[in-house]
Amino acid sequence: MSDDALLEIRDLDVTYWGRALLGLKGKTFHAVKGANLAIRAGETLGLVGESGSGKSSIANTVLGLVPASGGSIRFGGVELTAMKTRYPSDIRGQIQAVFQDPYSSLNPSMTVEEIVTEPLRVHTKMNADERRARAIELLKLVSLSEEHLGRHPHQFSGGQRQRIAIASALALTPKLIVLDEPVSALDVSTQNQIINLLYERRDALGIAYLLIAHDLALVHHISDRIAVMYLGHIVEEGPSDRVYRAPAHPYTKALIDAVPLLDPDAQRRRRADRKAAPAQERPRVAATGCPYKNRCPFAMPRCQSEMPPAFPVASGGTANCFLLDGATATVAAGSADEVVS
Amino acid sequence: MTPPSTDSASAPSRRRRWVGGSSAIVAVAAGVLVLLALLALLADVVTPYDPLKQNLIKALQWPSASHWLGTDDLGRDVFSRLIYGCRIAVIAAAEATTIAVLLGVPIGLFIGYRGGWWDWVVMRVVEAIVSIPGIMVAIVILALLGTGLHKAMIALGILFSTSFLRLARGVVLAEREEVYVRSARVVGASDSRILLRHIFPNIAPPLIVQVTLTVGAVLLAEAGLSFIGLGVQPPDASWGTMLSTAAAFMDLHWFLAIPPGIAIIVTVLSVNLIGDVIRDSIGRGIAVGVRPGTPAARFESAAPPAEAAGPVGVAIDNPVLRVEGLQVMVAARDGGEIPVITDLSLGIAKGETLGLVGESGSGKTLTGLAILGLMGTGVRTTHGSIALNGRELRSLSSSQMEDVRGNEVAMVFQDPTTSLNPAFTVGSQIAEVLRTKKGMNRKEAWERVVELIHRVGIPRPEERARAYPHELSGGMAQRIAIARALSCNPSLLIADEPTTALDVTVQQEILDLFRDLQDEFGMAILFVTHDLAVAADVCDRISVMYAGEMVEMAGVDQLFAMPRHPYTRGLLTAMPHASDRNPPLPTIRGSVPRPGSWATGCRFSNRCDFRTAACDRRIPLMGRERLVRCVRADELVLEAAQ
Repeated sequence: MSDDALLEIRDLDVTYWGRALLGLKGKTFHAVKGANLAIRAGETLGLVGESGSGKSSIANTVLGLVPASGGSIRFGGVELTAMKTRYPSDIRGQIQAVFQDPYSSLNPSMTVEEIVTEPLRVHTKMNADERRARAIELLKLVSLSEEHLGRHPHQFSGGQRQRIAIASALALTPKLIVLDEPVSALDVSTQNQIINLLYERRDALGIAYLLIAHDLALVHHISDRIAVMYLGHIVEEGPSDRVYRAPAHPYTKALIDAVPLLDPDAQRRRRADRKAAPAQERPRVAATGCPYKNRCPFAMPRCQSEMPPAFPVASGGTANCFLLDGATATVAAGSADEVVS
Repeated sequence: MTPPSTDSASAPSRRRRWVGGSSAIVAVAAGVLVLLALLALLADVVTPYDPLKQNLIKALQWPSASHWLGTDDLGRDVFSRLIYGCRIAVIAAAEATTIAVLLGVPIGLFIGYRGGWWDWVVMRVVEAIVSIPGIMVAIVILALLGTGLHKAMIALGILFSTSFLRLARGVVLAEREEVYVRSARVVGASDSRILLRHIFPNIAPPLIVQVTLTVGAVLLAEAGLSFIGLGVQPPDASWGTMLSTAAAFMDLHWFLAIPPGIAIIVTVLSVNLIGDVIRDSIGRGIAVGVRPGTPAARFESAAPPAEAAGPVGVAIDNPVLRVEGLQVMVAARDGGEIPVITDLSLGIAKGETLGLVGESGSGKTLTGLAILGLMGTGVRTTHGSIALNGRELRSLSSSQMEDVRGNEVAMVFQDPTTSLNPAFTVGSQIAEVLRTKKGMNRKEAWERVVELIHRVGIPRPEERARAYPHELSGGMAQRIAIARALSCNPSLLIADEPTTALDVTVQQEILDLFRDLQDEFGMAILFVTHDLAVAADVCDRISVMYAGEMVEMAGVDQLFAMPRHPYTRGLLTAMPHASDRNPPLPTIRGSVPRPGSWATGCRFSNRCDFRTAACDRRIPLMGRERLVRCVRADELVLEAAQ
């Protein structure tokens, strides 16, 4: 990967151990297996997948909340995995986060001022007046105002709470913000307000985002690149428009096709197509070979035993699918038109 | 981007909420505690006699003008001794409680946060202590320390520290999993900072309750220990030693037990009461719902349901469900009621799916619950009719309603993992419905269960019927919930966000299942969702709700081809895959108003780009083929979504 990457993840493994009796390590669960990703300064990478795909595990590992069990994460040239979850102060201040649930991500016993200035208290020597001035500045950045300083989180709506969380994440002007499903708990009209806010702030401050979400349509609006995860593996990665309009991996296409469209007629056509080719019920987890082989309509004998490596896609990015071995065509050109219409 | 509306209540009004009917009792309790503190401080000044001065001639006297509460066996003034007893009580309570808090809370915080071996060892010790009767533990500690008030209080402090330890540990264990603690770690706060600054303040409410309970318990325990001679030593006056004396002279002079007894009872009661009050007033509000004193929308409760002439809603022949002029009110903090659904009329035909869409706070979920008669306390239907297959549901008794639910109407909820009981196999939960509602025997019911589970597309149904909910994936659990809902072949199925908690690929399968099952069973479906695209997939007609009322209703093709209400249009353009451009994405400015703060005219008017003066008056639903609640619907040219 390039030298100018702000965050570079190589062959990352994240493994959880189940607790057995007396704290002994029990069963292992591989949440992330051999993930490779890179984000340049000021760039947004959307990381998409269904529940259990490992996308949040990558987020938590980058944030130093969960240790990596293998591979490397380099941030601004510094190797993070060796530090386990104990990042030094200067790195902590440069990687911030906004979490999904605005109802539990803000401490109910703290005021807005305390929440927003907490990073300043931890990382700077600012005095109370300076911190307050900065807090007012931050609230203005997220379209809140000075009058909100003394209030507690329960006095705000979901969208407003997410603005407070964003203000706090911006306090130290970090280089990277991990956004873990930042709008999925919000109503549609509020969702877009928050997306617009994140977009504005990114362009004004040159912050890179690692955006974790399940909704490809939403991620596509704000991301420069998109990576798609399935069962702990990154199966496709590439420029946002390319991945959304011309998915190269069968799973990415299935994911896009599964999102209902605002067109009843198109939905009827899709349903008729699905009826014509009913999907077989098979176990989702694959022990060997391609992780998606059990659900893949294009599965070949080779997919049963061999793990597909990342093949380059002609129009940018990579996809881990043997269909691309030597070929350059995308899985189905049809999906693109359908999505745009 | 517009500044968000101020939708918060002010803190002071919330804090004063508890002072209602019981304010007199609270005042008395507070007065008792103030008096106790004053007497303890000023005991030397206010007592008429030296509490230790004996006068054997005047022993065991009844209350009189010179001795208000009489005298004890040694002729000491009971009133003076009682007042000195206050001092002992205050010292005892303060000492033991302080020791208990200072010992228990830090250890509890530490082991809760650290976990592992520390936690294991300390908790086993604590369990050993609490498994022995408290007074025994105190006696053992006193045996080691010797007798006397302060030693007794150290013993009690150690004893009561276990409850503070467990409380602190419990709070830490719960709070450390909270997202805000994760946020604090991302910010870079150290462990001690997270513990003290982030987690500790959240212990305050339960801690205060525990402190007051402990103060009460210490007062009782001090009395007990002094009573058996291990606490305050004679001749010093404490309520416990006074009781001890009284016990010895019970036959001769029973009155001696009354003053210290009443003092203990009143003090303990007052402390506990004040503790409750403090806890309630600092308790964190969970979304301060409605601002009291906004009578603006209240007029509607008196207004007749809908001024619309003729039937509201698209006329449907033989509807399965017909709702007319429904109004639902919720109890407000100030004792009044606030409307949450007004003037709602809709009908669903056999085999039809009506979508109820809107954002949170629109009243769509409540509509489903109102039809089922399953609203929580404080919520009631005040106007309108709900007819199911021609039968008025509002006139049914609660046992008749119980019969209707499950048999004629069934419901599927958002989260299948919580709507199924984790303690029973999924098959037995469906069988239970069949046996109670259909009177089937065990074998018949089980056969039908397997058939139903097979029907909702689950392979190996016999095996899956014996699985527990947690053994199934979310999609599979939702299929089971659907099978249970359909078990009695209901004529109406209410589905409340049934796919919202599921992944998109699973959502698609469940939506297909709804369609297939409807083709087969022919039930009417009321499909509640916030996702217009899901509604586009599964519904035949869609009704858009906003702030407790219907703003638009149309066939699914018409609605998406040409939305007529500005709100519908706003929602459609805000959908993520509706627009194809980079941010700024289209938004609807502001946010959904809370019940109680609705505008009297068009409730959407303050967010609408097409507002005119005419929007300030009440606007009826208009139209015949399709309905819209907008005065400018005809003149506005609303292009299609996309």
